Amino acid sequence: MSKSLKILIADDNDSDRLILTAIVKKEGHESVTAANGQEAVDMYKEHKPDIVLLDALMPVMDGFNAARLIKEASGEDLVPIIFLTSLQDAASLAKCLDSGGDDFLSKPYNRIILKAKINAFSRMRTMHSAIQEHNKQLLLEQQVAKTIFDNVAHLGCLDAGNLKYSLSPLAVFNGDTVLAERKPDGGMYVFLGDFTGHGLPAAVGSLPLAEIFYGMTGKGFNIEEILREINQKLRKILPTGVFCCGSMIDMDFYEKSAKVWVGGLPNCFLYHSGNKEITELISKNLPLGVLDSKSFKPVFEEYSLDIGDRFFLWSDGIIESRNVEGEMFGEDRLRDVFYKCQEPEELFQQTLSAVDEFIGVEGVRDDDITVLEAKMVEHAELGESNLQNMKGTSVGPMDWELEFVLKAATLKLYNPLPLVLHIVTEVEGLRSVSGQLYTLLAELFSNALEHGVLNLSSELKKSTAGFAEYYQARTKALEQLSEGEVKVTLRHKPLNLGGLLTIRMEDTGNGFDHESIINRSRTNKEYSGRGLPLISKICDSFAYKGKGNIVEATIQWPVVKKI
Amino acid sequence: MTISAIGSGDGKELTIKVSGRFDFSAHQEFRQVYEGASPDIESYVVDMAEATYLDSSALGMLLLLRDHAGGDSANIKISNCNSDVKKILTISNFGQLFAID
Amino acid sequence: MVDVNDHLNTEALDELKEVMEDDFSLLIDTFVTDSETRLQTLSDLVMGTDADAIRREAHSLKGSSSNIGATKMTDLCKSLEDQGKDGVLDGVQGLKDAIAQEYQLVKGLLEQHYS
Repeated sequence: MSKSLKILIADDNDSDRLILTAIVKKEGHESVTAANGQEAVDMYKEHKPDIVLLDALMPVMDGFNAARLIKEASGEDLVPIIFLTSLQDAASLAKCLDSGGDDFLSKPYNRIILKAKINAFSRMRTMHSAIQEHNKQLLLEQQVAKTIFDNVAHLGCLDAGNLKYSLSPLAVFNGDTVLAERKPDGGMYVFLGDFTGHGLPAAVGSLPLAEIFYGMTGKGFNIEEILREINQKLRKILPTGVFCCGSMIDMDFYEKSAKVWVGGLPNCFLYHSGNKEITELISKNLPLGVLDSKSFKPVFEEYSLDIGDRFFLWSDGIIESRNVEGEMFGEDRLRDVFYKCQEPEELFQQTLSAVDEFIGVEGVRDDDITVLEAKMVEHAELGESNLQNMKGTSVGPMDWELEFVLKAATLKLYNPLPLVLHIVTEVEGLRSVSGQLYTLLAELFSNALEHGVLNLSSELKKSTAGFAEYYQARTKALEQLSEGEVKVTLRHKPLNLGGLLTIRMEDTGNGFDHESIINRSRTNKEYSGRGLPLISKICDSFAYKGKGNIVEATIQWPVVKKI
Repeated sequence: MTISAIGSGDGKELTIKVSGRFDFSAHQEFRQVYEGASPDIESYVVDMAEATYLDSSALGMLLLLRDHAGGDSANIKISNCNSDVKKILTISNFGQLFAID
Repeated sequence: MVDVNDHLNTEALDELKEVMEDDFSLLIDTFVTDSETRLQTLSDLVMGTDADAIRREAHSLKGSSSNIGATKMTDLCKSLEDQGKDGVLDGVQGLKDAIAQEYQLVKGLLEQHYS
């Protein structure tokens, strides 16, 4: 015996109502009756029956109109409507279903058939409400998951003045990810990723991705180390066949340069504000999560930039957007937007508008449309990095000294800066200036390594062409390095108020004639190649010693001096 | 979209032919084709002559085939790609994992 | 002698009686009242020219007669409904008379066997 239902019987014929009521009652169900279509709609609203038996031809309002109004009033609930009819022709029967009927029952009524139909629709209703319940639960769970997701993949520095981005999710979650964060040295990493697929399965991978991105950026890791870690993590957790296409850019606002990695994304653009031309950023890497660590060898492009130059990163969503004729937006239309644009500041909006216009109201968005613009600006415009993920004890060590000697084999493949910064920022008072400290350490260390141990000339870095050449030479020299070392000595002394940190770097290179150069001008071009103006702004004192192969810098806290 | 497979005369090479849009809807069929093939297969050819388009889930399926065929030691050739298909494979740098012509 | 089975589907009626229980006599009464009202209406309609009104009325009467298993009356109503649908007014009066006559017979049989 199935559960008792409330059944609305609408028929203008008294004897029909009598018989149907009797049959329904005999099956253990409750009935309400109506003698015309209007009454049926009213009774439906008042009694919310589980199933409606509706005569097709009735006075005042016929069954077809009543069915439409009942379906409208039922909203998301499933209310099966069974038409009662002695009409036989196919067109009339089709009309019953077209107007919202789910089935029909022919006169004269057969008790067994009516019973079977009621039971069948009752099962369908039960299933429907179970699905609705599941759906409600699922939406609730997604909301909770979204909160967690938003906490991990937080906005970082996406609100920075030099960034614009657009993420249009197809569902609560999105297969696309946009991340941006300031580096401790004042630079910025931006990342745009597109996971295979959409929705929850695609969004799952972006959680560890964001965690690694923000965590490692805060600790001062370089772009290759971060990508390597992301690749390894995704490779480990994602099933084969699920991966992340993406691009990551390391922007340096002091040097006005950028290092770009692209894996699996369609050509992204670098727009030059001067000549209004585009350099296309071509994918030279497999997507993240495909290769094992051993085979993962990221290929980067280095660019020297001018103020106002901007990167445009996007997923394939833009290019694959289709209009109502099924035609794709394509790369040519995208290039056109850039060639025609007179005002670089409007490029971002014009790109989105062009795609929207092309799709029209009826076109298809197959994929998520995600765009990120990152502009080269003066460092001062962005201000200092404000990193929140520097954690530690409350006071930290005050009186200590540490010597860290990096031998050739280590210099080849290890970046000591995150570790050194980590140790230095154990001193609570230095934590707030970790950004400046990182810049200082990075400048001093790269001078010692590149100009000292590797003996590279900073001359090269002055021209755009030389810039790339310099980095090629650096890579080659590192590969061939067999001897030499950099000794990093850190010393911290407490003062009455605050403390004093001394950083000393000594390299095994030839040094340089620091005395005569320093005696000349501070703005001397040869000297600026070593990032000197920047260094002198950050620390309280610094000096070259020995034959120019030793440099010592001090920084006192609490810090009153700002860049 | 249809997937069909033909073994070579010596039974050592399997040619998988993809027609139409190569996307997620082909998942089941594509998988069945190589999983159901003889264990003697040593090399694979994915014939794209009649494939009009492929999306990222198709790339995923190619990676699954590569795993099935022995991962780094897999011998898989993707042949007869039209320019659209080739472009997607190039963007993804799948040339590092497959022989593409 | 009239054979009940030429006019009524006794099998269906027996089943109906079982389902309706105490309401069965109410059903018969309803059928009687309803049929007499509709036959009166039909008597007026067949004098006029409104074929569609004839069709609707015959359709309703067909419905209630089929419900109580009055097979021959149902067939006659269907013929009248069809003529109304086709707009053929020739002979509708004769058909109406045949229905009225069949109704009287059914009513008598119902009283005799089912009350």
